[in-house]
Amino acid sequence: MGVVPVGLWRKIVKTGRVAEPAPPPPACPPPVPELAGSVQLRHVDAGSCNGCEVEIGSAFGPVHDAERYGARLVASPRHADALLVTGPVTRNMEVALRRTYEAVPQPRLVVALGDCARDCGAFKGAYGVAGAVADVIPVDVHVPGCPPPPEAIVAALRGITGR
Amino acid sequence: MTLYVVALGLCLAAALVPGAGRVAAWIAGLLTASGGALAAVAGGLALAGHGWQTWLPDLLPPVGVRLALDPLGGLFVAVTGGVAACAAVYGIGRSGRVVPLFVAAMLLVPAAASVGTFLACWELMAITSLALVLTEHRERGAVRDAGLWYAILTQLGLVAVLCGLLLLGHDGFDQLRAADLPPAVRNAAFLATLVGFAAKAGIVPLHVWLPRAYPEAPAPAAALMSGAMVNMGVYGLLRVGLDLLGGGPEWWWLVVLGLGALSALYGILQAAVASDLQRLLGYSSTENMGLVLMGIGTAGLLPGSPAGRLALAAALLHVVNHAAFKTLLFQAAGSVTRTTGGRNLDAMGGLRTRMPYTTAIFAVGALCASALPPGNGFTSEWLLLQSLLHALPGSGVAVAVTMPLAVGVFALSAGLAVATFVKAFGVGFLARPRSQAAELATESPPTMLAGMTLAAAACVFLALNPGLVLSALPGAHPVGGLVTLELAGLTGSISPLLLAVAIAVAAAGVLAALRKTGRVRRAARLWDCGAGPMSARMEYTATSFCEPLQRVFDHTLAPEGGVDVRSAKESAYLVERVEFRASVPDRVERTLYGPVLAAARAAGERARRLADGSVHRYLGYGFYALTGALIVLAVLA
Repeated sequence: MGVVPVGLWRKIVKTGRVAEPAPPPPACPPPVPELAGSVQLRHVDAGSCNGCEVEIGSAFGPVHDAERYGARLVASPRHADALLVTGPVTRNMEVALRRTYEAVPQPRLVVALGDCARDCGAFKGAYGVAGAVADVIPVDVHVPGCPPPPEAIVAALRGITGR
Repeated sequence: MTLYVVALGLCLAAALVPGAGRVAAWIAGLLTASGGALAAVAGGLALAGHGWQTWLPDLLPPVGVRLALDPLGGLFVAVTGGVAACAAVYGIGRSGRVVPLFVAAMLLVPAAASVGTFLACWELMAITSLALVLTEHRERGAVRDAGLWYAILTQLGLVAVLCGLLLLGHDGFDQLRAADLPPAVRNAAFLATLVGFAAKAGIVPLHVWLPRAYPEAPAPAAALMSGAMVNMGVYGLLRVGLDLLGGGPEWWWLVVLGLGALSALYGILQAAVASDLQRLLGYSSTENMGLVLMGIGTAGLLPGSPAGRLALAAALLHVVNHAAFKTLLFQAAGSVTRTTGGRNLDAMGGLRTRMPYTTAIFAVGALCASALPPGNGFTSEWLLLQSLLHALPGSGVAVAVTMPLAVGVFALSAGLAVATFVKAFGVGFLARPRSQAAELATESPPTMLAGMTLAAAACVFLALNPGLVLSALPGAHPVGGLVTLELAGLTGSISPLLLAVAIAVAAAGVLAALRKTGRVRRAARLWDCGAGPMSARMEYTATSFCEPLQRVFDHTLAPEGGVDVRSAKESAYLVERVEFRASVPDRVERTLYGPVLAAARAAGERARRLADGSVHRYLGYGFYALTGALIVLAVLA
């Protein structure tokens, strides 16, 4: 037993729990009830500036803790129930995004996160952009904002999980 | 005895067939195959109790040639005959005239009943096998290097066996059994012969010729050497240790057990990280012979007890099983090498569609070699494990300490064996071809397929029916029963046949159930991260498959390698060439043989000063030697 583990343990005990208290649960039932409150999410960056990624990181962090509502980030679309797409779809990522969507087993959902994913946002009309996410794959949930705050992201994910 | 003599005669006739055309080669091959088959029957008869002995005083004056076939020798003659039949059929038209001589020598060694005969046949076996290893020496330089190592180690082994057997003082084996020798002589003789026989069987640290010689020898020769010749080391150990010297003090068998455990572990570890297919199979031979030696050591430690006799039976059954599946594996590897031109597993792959029959046969061999049910290796390794587990009650401190260690070593080597053969089969034969040569591979010709099928049939027979072989083994042992093997006096039973049937029924049931549920299947694209199509070069290679194992055993394996970066003259940032090297050398060779060879070279360099070309010095040598000899003779007389 060295100094570091003991110090870390003391810090854990002293910090305690910093997660925000949970807001009231969503009113509507989830769109895909078979998922039964557990949704594996595969995040796809189709061309974003990474602002939305920072907010996603914060939403899954210790303060907002989206995992307590049943949402979990996974590495492969084969393991996923839903895709979490950020950014406008650039020309390079169009085919990759479509292949990722086809690799997700059904029933599947797509969450388009941010103004860029909804209508190309600040990058509308740029030469490298192929279109919004809905132009490439069917979208089920939009989360507006540039970037959307973590509370909005958590609310959207709770709408899918139903918890 | 007539069958045995006829078998020998057929092999000698095959060696003497004149002519170099295809017809002559076919005749020689068929004669060897029939000689091998007859020898297998003769060995089986000796096992059943029809032994014989004979003395030919005119053949090797002054002691003559004594031949005798008892059940132990009969077992090894039968195994050799079977392997020779398969290898001869496999190599019809391709083997030279040395193969029948090699087979004849290997048939003679277990039948030798005097020291002179034994040594003569042993040396004949060594010389013919050396000639076989050097067959392709004109095509590759590595063959000469391999031949040199093999020759030196074989001859050193012969010297050790010679010293050991000469220490015993008598010629005939009957006289040796009856002789009463002082313990010091017995210890020295046992240790000397152990060194020689361990070198032949490929036991660490005398195994270094195996991974060098097997890749360079042609496939039928490698199959013969691995399936039949390494068994001669085991035969010698059993004959001298258990039969002629009649067992011995405990420490003999502890040494044997320790060497066996070390070989089993080191051999399979090196096989697990080998990318050269024949080198992998060679190290697997070391592992299997190590397991056999563990069984023999246990049998010597606990003579007369059920666990000891079971260990000996398990070791002998493993010799038979190993001969069957190792012959098969080397033949399949030889077919692959012949058609792809290389031995590197990294460059193979995709052979399942191009060589379906060879792939199926290699799969059978890999299953048997990895000691998983329903293969034949499973039965003998299970019996060996049972003997190690049941050895404990009331047998002394040494046994109580070594048996748990032996069980641990056994378990680790069995696990690594599974990984090794999954790698050899999966990476080598499945997926897509990783090189041009693998894409253009074609199926082997029918004679090679016939030879492989014979060996595969033997493997399947041994897997489903070990009870028959076990009931014929020499020495009373506690395994009984045909369908279910029961261990008398110990708890435990196993039924390989029922296991195989159960696995087959379960597999068929699962397949039928899957087909009946009628799930909707859709053709989907392989997930490749969304980017372009995956090329065959992105598959697991042998090196990447075993890299986690290599990292775990980093300290033992001491892999070597490095990255060489050559940059342009103008600037160090402009890279012209990057070269990456990775290899796992044989650590025993590095640490043990390296210093010995360096010392020998240094001694040779220093000795050059003794012969520097000066005539005066040479005359001086002659003068002093002559006067010295005269003085000694004067003093003595």
